[in-house]
Amino acid sequence: MAFISSEHWQLKGSLKCFINYINNKESLQMYFKNCVKNYTLSKTEETKIVDKNFQQKEVSLIGDIVIVKSPNDPKSKICKRVIGLEGDKVCTSNPSDFLKSHSYVPKGHVWLEGDNLRNSTDSRCYGPVPYGLIRGRICFKIWPLNDFGFLRASPNGHRFLDD
Amino acid sequence: MLRNVLGKTFRFLGYTVQYGCIAHCAFEYLGGIVVCSGPSMEPTIQNSDIVFSENLSRHFYCIRKGDIVIVKSPNDPKSKICKRVIGLEGDKVCTSNPSDFLKSHSYVPKGHVWLEGDNLRNSTDSRCYGPVPYGLIRGRICFKIWPLNDFGFLRASPNGHRFLDD
Repeated sequence: MAFISSEHWQLKGSLKCFINYINNKESLQMYFKNCVKNYTLSKTEETKIVDKNFQQKEVSLIGDIVIVKSPNDPKSKICKRVIGLEGDKVCTSNPSDFLKSHSYVPKGHVWLEGDNLRNSTDSRCYGPVPYGLIRGRICFKIWPLNDFGFLRASPNGHRFLDD
Repeated sequence: MLRNVLGKTFRFLGYTVQYGCIAHCAFEYLGGIVVCSGPSMEPTIQNSDIVFSENLSRHFYCIRKGDIVIVKSPNDPKSKICKRVIGLEGDKVCTSNPSDFLKSHSYVPKGHVWLEGDNLRNSTDSRCYGPVPYGLIRGRICFKIWPLNDFGFLRASPNGHRFLDD
């Protein structure tokens, strides 16, 4: 293309495009937004692979913390943990309820819950979320430095139902 | 000689990366060409029609009632579907089929849209899977490119009666 003539403009243009590409994948940018849950330092048994192209159905997302476009407000993003994939049985009632109710996650959807079950609006409130709204997966904590490292597993292990 | 070849290779790679980034940004933020398949949008869009879709409307949140949009399928995240927006959040929509005796209505929840194909008799749309979150919208179809005898802007919905003015 003839209009890209000066080298300076070429470099600036490609750098901007590259930065835009990285931002668009939202692997770095989204991490600094607020989350509902509290993470603390611990060791995790699973090895989390730092990858940008996680959006493949073959990779299991159960137990991962994901960034999702909010189903109620498309301008904002939310950060929750994946409790169930399509076809999984999930517990839709709150832990404090007397009668437990279960349901199956429909095709193409995921069930999200915050780690802080008492103070989290998640799938228990707005139902299963389409997989297509997932924007990225959180794999690593950078700040604060005393909590640097991989994220721990869910403190609510009882919410994962093995069918 | 080797330096010459290496220099040319690196320059080639540099141009590839540059143009790749520009192309990616163009497809992501501006729009692209889409080949549609399926009968659910007839007569507006036939099978194997080629259309141009733009992404600016979705980023600026100005998708309007009556627009034809490309949406990630809520049931199958790997595929995209092409439907018309019948109702935005807060709008009243008719959830029953035209052939039903008793009509039922509901309001589109916040952050969602109601989609229907123009070919109401042969279209799985929001009447089947419910309102679709706005975040799944990928682009808005604005222009038909192929076939040439149908070149131009897309016509309005043939199902005007589906748009309920509250």
